Amino acid sequence: MTNRERAMRILHYEPIDRMPAVHFGYWGELLVEWAEQGKIPMSLAQSWGDGNAADEELDRIIGWDFNWSHVVGANNGLMPPFEHKVLETLPDGTMRVQNGDGMIERIRPGVTSIPSEDDYLLKDRAAFEELYVPKMQFDPSRVNYDYFRTFNETRRKDIPIGVHLGSVLGSIRNIVSVIGMSYLMYDEDEDLFADIVDTFADMQYQCVEEILKTGAKFDFAHYWEDICYNSGPLLSPEIFDELCRKHYKKRNDLCHKYGIDIISLDCDGVTEKLLPTWFETGVNTMFPIEVGTWGDQFEAARNKFGRGMLGVGGMDKTVLRKDRAAVDAELERMRRLASLGGFLPCPDHRLMPGTKFELVQYYAEEIKKIKI
Amino acid sequence: MILNDALVAGMNIIGDKFRDNTIFVPEVLVSARAMNAGLKILNPVLADAGVEPIGTAVICTVKGDMHDIGKNLVKMMIEGQGIRCIDLGVDVDPEVIVAAVKENHAQLVCLSALLTTTMMGQKDVIDALVAAGIRDDVKVMVGGAPITQQFADEIGADCYTLDAASAAKAAKRLILEGKTA
Repeated sequence: MTNRERAMRILHYEPIDRMPAVHFGYWGELLVEWAEQGKIPMSLAQSWGDGNAADEELDRIIGWDFNWSHVVGANNGLMPPFEHKVLETLPDGTMRVQNGDGMIERIRPGVTSIPSEDDYLLKDRAAFEELYVPKMQFDPSRVNYDYFRTFNETRRKDIPIGVHLGSVLGSIRNIVSVIGMSYLMYDEDEDLFADIVDTFADMQYQCVEEILKTGAKFDFAHYWEDICYNSGPLLSPEIFDELCRKHYKKRNDLCHKYGIDIISLDCDGVTEKLLPTWFETGVNTMFPIEVGTWGDQFEAARNKFGRGMLGVGGMDKTVLRKDRAAVDAELERMRRLASLGGFLPCPDHRLMPGTKFELVQYYAEEIKKIKI
Repeated sequence: MILNDALVAGMNIIGDKFRDNTIFVPEVLVSARAMNAGLKILNPVLADAGVEPIGTAVICTVKGDMHDIGKNLVKMMIEGQGIRCIDLGVDVDPEVIVAAVKENHAQLVCLSALLTTTMMGQKDVIDALVAAGIRDDVKVMVGGAPITQQFADEIGADCYTLDAASAAKAAKRLILEGKTA
């Protein structure tokens, strides 16, 4: 049984010989830490990315079977992106930088944290139509047709690989910031925000359709959203539903038409209030189920939404900074959740600095002993 | 009357609804924008009339953390309680925070951390307040995505709240308690 078969069987409530050891990558600082400790080559730390050659080499060194975030897709962002340029350097070294999305961020040299959102270009309909609409159009150059036409022959066949569906709202938030998104929803031109969402979503739909039309076959489809935080969604579930439902439905129906029945969605934070929109439109797999903010909510959500709710994630990554006893306790919890079926344990986000290399190896070895 | 019965009272309603998950971040931000627009007009009038804020809070994200959406939200809500906020911005050294507390005679320090990689910076600030001999003069409130009550207890913070609305109410309570202590 390959790890691809194991993962797909778990998500279809079928028995497996053993649990695959699945992960969701690393904070860059952790890989540097491990390299400095002599655990891994520095070249891997410097070149790692989800699903790339360095990721696969790390899998071999650590004992992982695969990274769930192994997805391929089109260039579904702004095209061409805005020029990335430093607008201003402040006396304390902080730089005001315009990024490719037209967002102005504050970045401080040496600080690797998510940047501070300072300003944004998309403030009104004139900016939308002049600066953004041209960058949100579909163009064949967004899709690497040659790659997808030969994908079935050239892909790794032993692990699941997904097609990236893009994002209905998360990408818009990246373009206008949380504050900008909030103001645009309520400022005078009340149709503008919906027009932004619709324009971007139509292009992303076409990207997915073009990929699937090449005949490329995928094990699952995958969204990225990150539209929740530790207290719940970043916007009203009603407004979210009004803006996004039709786009999820359209994209998910397309996936179903091409035989994809596992549709996962990456959203950090407390997602509970958005689950109805996602599940009712065809998303069925939540990822990475952050234990730090969700607690044991996978089980609660399963009880609420039934066996139609699948999960990848839900493993408390913080135990990998502690000791074997903490890891053993978490393994026991994973064993219990896995017994529910439709649940594939995976650390609940990137492994963070301070994570102990030997504990990760131990977890990867022990999780494989779970049978269903 | 305009401040207490309209602006502050309005933000209290917004805070309660936000805490109860009947409104969300966008509605709070739009309300806070309206509140701040009102305060901009009102502040000179209040100053002329000798009306003082109920207290002073120093607020920032801790060293290494540039992400300030949560901090800004808490600041707006705290200002809505009639508390003066000294906003030190993002990625702030503990020594800078200590100096700001001393200089502004702050009764409260509000520390935000978004990331598991930066949350220990909150403890560094508390340690710096102890080292400066002013820990007992100021209350410390912590918050952010990875923060829990257990973590707040472990690092010796005075208060942890889950959301910005609860933070604002707790800030007012802590400052008023300090005045009667």
